[in-house]
Amino acid sequence: MMMNQRNTIYFEQGWDFMQKGITKLKNILEGLPEPQFSSEDYMMLYETIFNMSTQKRPFDYSQQLYDKYRESIEEYITTTVLPCLMEKRDEFLLRELVKRWLNHKIMIRWLSKFFCYLDRYFIVRRSLPSLKEVGLACFRDLVYQEINGKVRDAVISLIDQEREGEQIDRALLKNVLDIFVEVGMGLMDYYESDFEAAMLKDTEAYYFQKASNWISDDSCPDFMSKAEECLERERDRVSHYLHSSSGTKLLGVFSYSLLNRSGDVFSVSGCCALLRDDKVECLSRIYRLFSLTPLWLEPVANMFKQHVTAEGAALVKQAEDAASNKKEEKRDDVELHEQIFVRKVIELYDKFMAYVNDCFLNHILFHKALKEAFEVFLNKGVAGSSTAELLATFCDNILKKGGSEKLTDEAIEETLEKVVKLLVFISDKDLFAEFYRKKLARRLLFDKSVNDWHERSMLTKLKQQYGFQFTSKMEGMVTDLTLSRENQTSFEEYLSNNSNANPGIDFTVTVLTTGFWPSYKSSDLNIKAEMVKCVEVFREFYQTKTEHRKLTWIYSLGTCNINGNFESKTIELIVTTYQAAALLLFNTSDRLSYQEIMAQLNLSDDDVVRLLHSLSCAKYKILNKEPNTKTISPTDVFEFNSKFTDKKRRIKIFLPPVNEKKKVIEDVVKDRRYAIDAAIVRIMKSRKLLGYQQLVMKCVEQLGCMFKPDVKAVKKRIEDLITRDYLERDEDKPNLLKYLA
Amino acid sequence: MKEDMVKLISAEGFEFVIDKKAAMVSQTIRNMLTSPGGFAETEHGEVTFPEISTTILEKICQYFYWSLQYASGKETEFHIEPELTLELMMAANYLHT
Repeated sequence: MMMNQRNTIYFEQGWDFMQKGITKLKNILEGLPEPQFSSEDYMMLYETIFNMSTQKRPFDYSQQLYDKYRESIEEYITTTVLPCLMEKRDEFLLRELVKRWLNHKIMIRWLSKFFCYLDRYFIVRRSLPSLKEVGLACFRDLVYQEINGKVRDAVISLIDQEREGEQIDRALLKNVLDIFVEVGMGLMDYYESDFEAAMLKDTEAYYFQKASNWISDDSCPDFMSKAEECLERERDRVSHYLHSSSGTKLLGVFSYSLLNRSGDVFSVSGCCALLRDDKVECLSRIYRLFSLTPLWLEPVANMFKQHVTAEGAALVKQAEDAASNKKEEKRDDVELHEQIFVRKVIELYDKFMAYVNDCFLNHILFHKALKEAFEVFLNKGVAGSSTAELLATFCDNILKKGGSEKLTDEAIEETLEKVVKLLVFISDKDLFAEFYRKKLARRLLFDKSVNDWHERSMLTKLKQQYGFQFTSKMEGMVTDLTLSRENQTSFEEYLSNNSNANPGIDFTVTVLTTGFWPSYKSSDLNIKAEMVKCVEVFREFYQTKTEHRKLTWIYSLGTCNINGNFESKTIELIVTTYQAAALLLFNTSDRLSYQEIMAQLNLSDDDVVRLLHSLSCAKYKILNKEPNTKTISPTDVFEFNSKFTDKKRRIKIFLPPVNEKKKVIEDVVKDRRYAIDAAIVRIMKSRKLLGYQQLVMKCVEQLGCMFKPDVKAVKKRIEDLITRDYLERDEDKPNLLKYLA
Repeated sequence: MKEDMVKLISAEGFEFVIDKKAAMVSQTIRNMLTSPGGFAETEHGEVTFPEISTTILEKICQYFYWSLQYASGKETEFHIEPELTLELMMAANYLHT
């Protein structure tokens, strides 16, 4: 057995044996004809080391064996490997290097196997570098340090060749670069400092040059497509043979060197031209390239914003010009232009949103740019009407019967959606709400709404976007109508049950809850006895349903169907209550003067002029006027036109509504005052103590979702609240405000 | 020679045929069998141990199997005759087991 009969192996003897094995290994590596190692050979070699390391002192040769191990490797390298490498260059050098490196790795593996006993105990005990590390270090110190410069240059020149379009051996490059990595033994230091740094510099110089060439030769789109091609190829390079850690750095250098120079190429006008000409491809390319360095997207986004703003402003101007071109205020034409304007704005929005989505891949910078651009030109207003009003009118046209738009249900939904989106950009959202409410009231009361479902759907959309507060009143209005209908049914039942209560005329009442609906002037119209009876009957009926509710009659909103007994035939006239009241006067007298009519009706001049105009100077002349002019003056006299006739048996006499615009704006301003007050009190109640400036800022912030408050107005309200003892100024610091409970 | 069997040959020429998996318990044997650019033996799957006696080699083979069993969770005893202990330890050291 090995232990008992062991002879001490002396160093020279043992080493001699090992040397034979090592030489055999070297020969195999060099490709010389040698039989392969048998397992017996291996065992013998292993055993020799084993024995020499486990002998008793002073025959424990572990240290010497360790040193000899290193020496063998070094000797091999210096005598055989290095000379081979030094005489070669460029691609040959690279190939030789790879070959030698692979050989080296094999050698280390074999030697480690022979010497592995050392690895187990000796090395661990003395905390020495392992056999593998020693082997690697030898190669690094003797070979790598010598030639890495030359290798690097060879690699870089190959890369540049590939850039110029030549085919190169990518596998070779990968192998070479792997050496750089492996030599670091876990760290990337060698790769980075010896190779990567130089490679990046070379890339930079290369692309600088290219950029200058292309700028002078190529147009912007061509430049961009070439740039993108190069980008793809560089990416390709990283995936195929460069180390992955180089990826981001390389692309950074690439974009810096290539695109930095060309900053001039992309002046505002350049990109604007692209946008104008709708060069989607090119824009997408620009985005892709510039997105490598996020900082650079900003100028592109700015330019996009400017372009959109310019386009929007052009639309506004167009609309303004069209409006001022009209000599008279032909209502239909003005309306038409407003419609067109809103439509165009919607188209603009769609177009540029598509850009943001497709070209700019939904990048937040571009969304922001779009938003800001729209905010700028949408808040300017056109020909005296604010955009809020225009949008409300637009919706009105879509939602009312006989509006200028005839759309399918889907189209209506879609368009309303767009309006809601555009509303985001408008700062005076409360103004829109007020206008919309007014128009909604008209639609509901005069039964002009195309489709109840659409009305509700629009309100839902608005509610989703802007909250319950925004639409609560409007929803109340729609509900009121439904309730009213029910009410009417029970009223009719009541009438049929109490025959003595019957007023003799068919009569419908719509009950509106005051808070929800816009405020209407109620007037003391003198109505005829027949109508008075209707009113009384309903009042009685309503008392039976609820008490503690006061009914105020708004005659200006009513309609009346009245039969006109003309000489030729009887025609049914559909008129407003005011007009009906006026016509009924002629039941008792044939001629009446303006003054008489006014006195009998008990209405204001405005109302009288309007209604008489509609009856005598408009399309249907129910009354004859002396003198027969186109306008009403207080000295006119009116006569029933018994000769009037028309093809139809039933005609509607249109009474143009008062222009509500001024009133709406007044209402909104008033509401805003209250809103500001409420916001201030709310803020102060929670904070108790707050600086003046901060209060103003917070106020503006809170109210921002509905409208943009004027800072002066806010300040005024603060002062007002101070005088009303809601707040007080701190004695020591006048800029600090305290809340008074 | 079957795919996953190896032959261990003792000093006296005795051949022990065991699973490759069992043999791999020894690092030394594993190194030899998995070395690329190979030993002639890798195809044949034979290893000669001119310095290890049959008795010891037999015990070692038993150890290999026991080790595998122990690794898969079974708790069994591995009995060693006292006379063999020292030699067995030396062999274990040699084979890096």
